[in-house]
Amino acid sequence: MSGKTKTPPQAVRHERTFPRFTVAQRWEHAVLLLSGLVLLLTGLPQKYRDLAISQDLLSTPDRVELIRQIHHIAAIVLMLEALYHFGRIVYLMAKRRLPGDLLPTWQDVRDAWHMLQYLLFLRSDKPKFGRYNFEQKVTYWFIFFGILIMGISGLVIWFPIQFTRFLPGGVVPAAKLAHSTEAVVIAIFIIVWHVYHVHVERMNLSMFTGRLSEEEMRTFHEKEYERLTGGSVTKARPGAKK
Amino acid sequence: MTRRNLHRQTFWLSAAGAFILLLSLWLVSPAGAEPPAQETEKYCLSCHGNPDLSITLPNGEELSLYIPQDALDHSVHSAKGIECEACHNDITEYPHPELKYQSARELSRAYYQTCEKCHSLNYEKALDSMHAKAAEAGNLDAPICTDCHGAHDVRPPDEPRSMISETCRQCHTEIVDAYRQSVHGAALMVEENPDVPVCTDCHGVHNIQDPRTAQFRVAEPELCAGCHANEELMSKYGLSADVYSIYKHSWHGVDISVYKAKWPTIWHDSAVCSDCHGIHDIRSTDDPQSRVNPNNLLATCQQCHPDAGPNWTDAWTGHNEISLERTPALFYVERFYVLFAPFVLWVCVIYVVLQIVRATVDRVRRNLP
Repeated sequence: MSGKTKTPPQAVRHERTFPRFTVAQRWEHAVLLLSGLVLLLTGLPQKYRDLAISQDLLSTPDRVELIRQIHHIAAIVLMLEALYHFGRIVYLMAKRRLPGDLLPTWQDVRDAWHMLQYLLFLRSDKPKFGRYNFEQKVTYWFIFFGILIMGISGLVIWFPIQFTRFLPGGVVPAAKLAHSTEAVVIAIFIIVWHVYHVHVERMNLSMFTGRLSEEEMRTFHEKEYERLTGGSVTKARPGAKK
Repeated sequence: MTRRNLHRQTFWLSAAGAFILLLSLWLVSPAGAEPPAQETEKYCLSCHGNPDLSITLPNGEELSLYIPQDALDHSVHSAKGIECEACHNDITEYPHPELKYQSARELSRAYYQTCEKCHSLNYEKALDSMHAKAAEAGNLDAPICTDCHGAHDVRPPDEPRSMISETCRQCHTEIVDAYRQSVHGAALMVEENPDVPVCTDCHGVHNIQDPRTAQFRVAEPELCAGCHANEELMSKYGLSADVYSIYKHSWHGVDISVYKAKWPTIWHDSAVCSDCHGIHDIRSTDDPQSRVNPNNLLATCQQCHPDAGPNWTDAWTGHNEISLERTPALFYVERFYVLFAPFVLWVCVIYVVLQIVRATVDRVRRNLP
């Protein structure tokens, strides 16, 4: 046994990795992903109830009830997760330990403008990003407000009688329209925007592994890499000069 | 000429005469526009024209056998030469055969079956009706052809149109009285309005079905839409013809359409037209007695939503398009998403397509020598 540990270290290439998401954050994402998926899959057949495919799925009145219950349970799970997330933000803010890397800044606007020029072949270099780039911030805030809209409108149409005790009745049909439209908007956003960025542009599994490789850090989060290592990586970046 | 020849000649002459007579009858009868001779009618009425003619049936009922000439004069049959024995086909001679019926009802239920000889289609339809089922279940008072159309004085059933509801009222008194108070019934009674529905327009004519079934319930919105989605008809009375199409997209309407498509026999409580507007007593929404008059609307909602508070009625958008005046919250949400949803879609798609193009170009350039 001891003989094996003496093999020279050069035989195994050790890649340095950087922590990106804590275990708690990865669990949050997993709960969000699963509950959101369940909500979408049980919500769409209710929204498009007059389609034949929905009616095949909702093949008995009991199934309609079941699907509704699953939707409500998943909604409770997601609301608990949202409350935890929000509670943690407030807690960290109170202790003045909230990192704030996700807050939108003017640099994000400049980065987006830079990126647009690059995409239109007006510039040859990509913008250098910090810990979270503007695409990732857009994703976070889009889903942040999306969940807020879905949660409030969902509660209104789940308990319409209770809400109209203190709110005008008109909020019920408005909530119904907002709930069913926002759901589709979020679904389109995640499928087109988020799935492209984490699966097509590159396979970014840091939300599951919790870490980014040195290579990924240098390529996609150069400023953050420089901040952490205290050195420039411009030379090491492949394809930077073109 | 022998006596025998003379006989033969007489035979042929009379045969030819008879043939010509028959031929002329055959030629003349279809062409003759004159009302056909009512020989049996006259013959039968020589006895049955007596108002005092009656018989005591085995069950002790006194059955009048008097047929007034007047009744036959107004009958559609009499004018077409359809005579007594067409229906009373078991009576071919006088004295008549013994009456074999225990009661007047039994007699009616036996004779009405002869309607099938000419009116087989409607007769069969009636056999599928709610009325026939009631009779099968033992209610011999359930109506047969003659109860609605009459026996000796069969007249066009819809002249005037209100005659139809009069006929139904013989048994369904309370319902027809409620109907007469309704916006439909009043228009029929007062002005013989040809547009409003009479009983048979909703319930069918001969194959009248039980309207209390789940099937009837889920089909009801389409039944009402028959008139209320008719632009031309509704504009005559200043009514919207969109009520059905908007209902179909409402919470209630979607539920009902799914049940209609998937489970038409399973009862579902989601509201159909009559749950809010009433069944026979439908009134104009302006009528203070209407269940959907703004003053009564909450009580109507509370039939199904008992805990609903006063704000609840505004949650029902009515059969109205989205508008700033009536439904401001809904109006702004709709406006927002009309812009926001396509904006998100196009920004995402354009951005991702640009990225794919740029990444592909970069990759190709790197690989070029």
